[in-house]
Amino acid sequence: MESNNKSETAGKVLRCKAAISRIPGEPLVIEDIEVDPPQAWEIRIKIICTSLCHTDITFWKMKAGPAAVFPRIFGHEAVGVVESVGDHVEEFTVGDTVLPVFLPNCKECSDCKSQKSNICSIFENNFSPEMPRDGTSRFKDMNGEILHHFLWVSSFTEYTVVDVTHAVKITPEIPVDKACLLGCGVSTGIGAAWKVAEVEEGSMVAIFGLGPVGLAVAEGARQRGALKIIAVDLNPEKFDIGKKFGVTDFVNPETCGEKSVSEVIKELTNGGADYCFECIGLASLMQEAFLSSRKGWGKTVILGVEMHGAQVTLNPYEFLRGRSVIGSLFGGIKPKSDIPVFAKKYLDNELRLDEFISHELSFQDINKAFELHQEGKSLRCIIWMDR
Amino acid sequence: MDDKSSSETRGNPIRCRAAVSRKPGEPLVIEEVMVAPPMAHEVRIRIICTSLCHSDITFWKLKDFPGIFPRILGHEAIGVVESVGEDVDEVSEGDTVIPTFMPDCGDCVDCRSKKSNLCSKLPFKVSPWMPRHETSRFTDLKGEVLYHFLFVSSFSEYTVVDVAHVTKIDPSIAPNRACLLSCGVSTGVGAAWRTANVEKGSTVVIFGLGSIGLAVAEGARLCGATKIIGVDLNPDKFENGKKFGVTDFVNSGNCGDKSVSQVINEMTDGGADYCFECVGMASLVHEAYACCRKGWGKTIVLGVDKPGSKLSLSSFEVLHSGKSLMGSLFGGLKAKSDIPILLKKYLDKELQLDEFVTHEVRFDDINKAFDLLIEGNCLRCVIWMDKQVSS
Repeated sequence: MESNNKSETAGKVLRCKAAISRIPGEPLVIEDIEVDPPQAWEIRIKIICTSLCHTDITFWKMKAGPAAVFPRIFGHEAVGVVESVGDHVEEFTVGDTVLPVFLPNCKECSDCKSQKSNICSIFENNFSPEMPRDGTSRFKDMNGEILHHFLWVSSFTEYTVVDVTHAVKITPEIPVDKACLLGCGVSTGIGAAWKVAEVEEGSMVAIFGLGPVGLAVAEGARQRGALKIIAVDLNPEKFDIGKKFGVTDFVNPETCGEKSVSEVIKELTNGGADYCFECIGLASLMQEAFLSSRKGWGKTVILGVEMHGAQVTLNPYEFLRGRSVIGSLFGGIKPKSDIPVFAKKYLDNELRLDEFISHELSFQDINKAFELHQEGKSLRCIIWMDR
Repeated sequence: MDDKSSSETRGNPIRCRAAVSRKPGEPLVIEEVMVAPPMAHEVRIRIICTSLCHSDITFWKLKDFPGIFPRILGHEAIGVVESVGEDVDEVSEGDTVIPTFMPDCGDCVDCRSKKSNLCSKLPFKVSPWMPRHETSRFTDLKGEVLYHFLFVSSFSEYTVVDVAHVTKIDPSIAPNRACLLSCGVSTGVGAAWRTANVEKGSTVVIFGLGSIGLAVAEGARLCGATKIIGVDLNPDKFENGKKFGVTDFVNSGNCGDKSVSQVINEMTDGGADYCFECVGMASLVHEAYACCRKGWGKTIVLGVDKPGSKLSLSSFEVLHSGKSLMGSLFGGLKAKSDIPILLKKYLDKELQLDEFVTHEVRFDDINKAFDLLIEGNCLRCVIWMDKQVSS
């Protein structure tokens, strides 16, 4: 459905294709579904392309516990065009190019208004799997069964409905497959380097985990003139990829011998890195990253999502020595203000995005994206809805 | 031994009185000791007065290393330079100085950076010796070595201190006020001012209303914080706290079913901008972290817990909250530049120091200071080296 004409589909239930995850860890099934029209403060988006992020995989595999919610439409990194809007929506009009995002940005709460925070309060502590305002789903399968939303985005479908606080309008000038990357992983890494850590020229940076988030941190640090960008990863092949993003040194924990990773990093940096980033989601690595930071001013930024409820255990003595730890969702990015800035930087050749795309697939082959990811063979795989 | 003229003693060992800690936890013994002349980069100081700090008590009680005996404790003090060793240009005989446990060499990467006060050239550690030559300048009359403490050892009529640990100050300031900036009050005020960089209009929570906590309150007040919540088990501390800017009090023993952090989150509608832990308990750091505000809240660790203690944070909360956890030694202050600034603020009546001094004793009665601090009704007890106690 390519129509920009509001009267055709607006206000109606749409029937379209979606990749549904019915059983944890098993391939998604492409089926027809019904998508309700957007309610007040919601917009319905026609997805153009979407990409797979590790967080989708994490929740896709969950067999038990409150986070295991099935059947579900995954996907939270995407770009699309507004098909219709609900009541009270002034920010978006039909035809706008938008990124749905997992982090809300209401622009009215004290966090949104402050420069110092990106943790919008509007839906605070709401971990519902459905739409944030009324807790109901906009998706049904052909048996009338509810399909759950994911991270308030659900992009593995031809049409989705998101709250206006979870959508960012961007310029249609940026190629959509590059724009799509700004919806999660890459923005997280760049934001972490630019906004959370504020990497300066001449800094020494250590990055634990060279997936797309870690590579984006490297790109962000390189952009800011970091002198040394040390990457820590178990896979030596990542070094070649990393070099393209500015990585200057590589540490493989398996080849450190008797030394710990933090000892190796301290040697490489003459006492510890100025900024350490944990981009995997393992408490043990968060601890190692902390120990790799320099006394006096070393800052450790936690980006990885730890899914086992593990505690991070740190020595208070190290804090007295001037180290600090900060965690950040989405790299400190305020979606509505910062994503358009990143898009412009890409268009001005100040930010590189192309190299993050390692594969492209059509929607019907979406499960291949999962396989590639599990095999460790992909960075970002762009899934095109219309090809 | 009263004031000697420097020309008599310069270059020679001085025989004077010191309060020696010979056995862990036992009263100090006042005896005559020999204080060697200062070596290169060292300064010998005649102590005017000194005050007792909780860290002295911690190491006084410690049976195992880094506790070590016999030792001359004390690290918060003020004195006059009696003589200097070679290569000392910064201070001269007769200068009034404050010795500090924190070094400030002025020259290394950290000392030259605005972001750190942790000198790399003479790194701080709990050592029994002088920093540069790793020997002692003290012997008792039998010739036995007496160990230094925190590079200061102020419970002695004369001490020897490395020049990196000496800050020259304006002699006109009352010594029983200036000496407070040698450790505790500087740590607290600095933590608010330099480490946390408290902004005007902020909400601040302070766990532990001892001298450090009260100094944090004073520092936060100076920075323009509008709500300063003090947390302590002892309700008597609130009245006292009000003098230093504390606006609200939470008795942590009286929260009923709720945790302290829950009470504070309610009081502050979501958490404070800055939370300071000034006791030295990992469990309190957890509480502090739990009641600092999401988005921009900072938790500052100042208290020193026992070796081996650990902080455990939920990685989920770390990631989702945007809170920072940080800490500092000596309030992040650079002794040589910041102590004079704070002294000026005292002279300009912006910074309060008088209220910290709750007791004063003569050197002979130094053990009373220990009793008073342990009993818990004392903030700072000043110990005067002269026979007369200044009133």
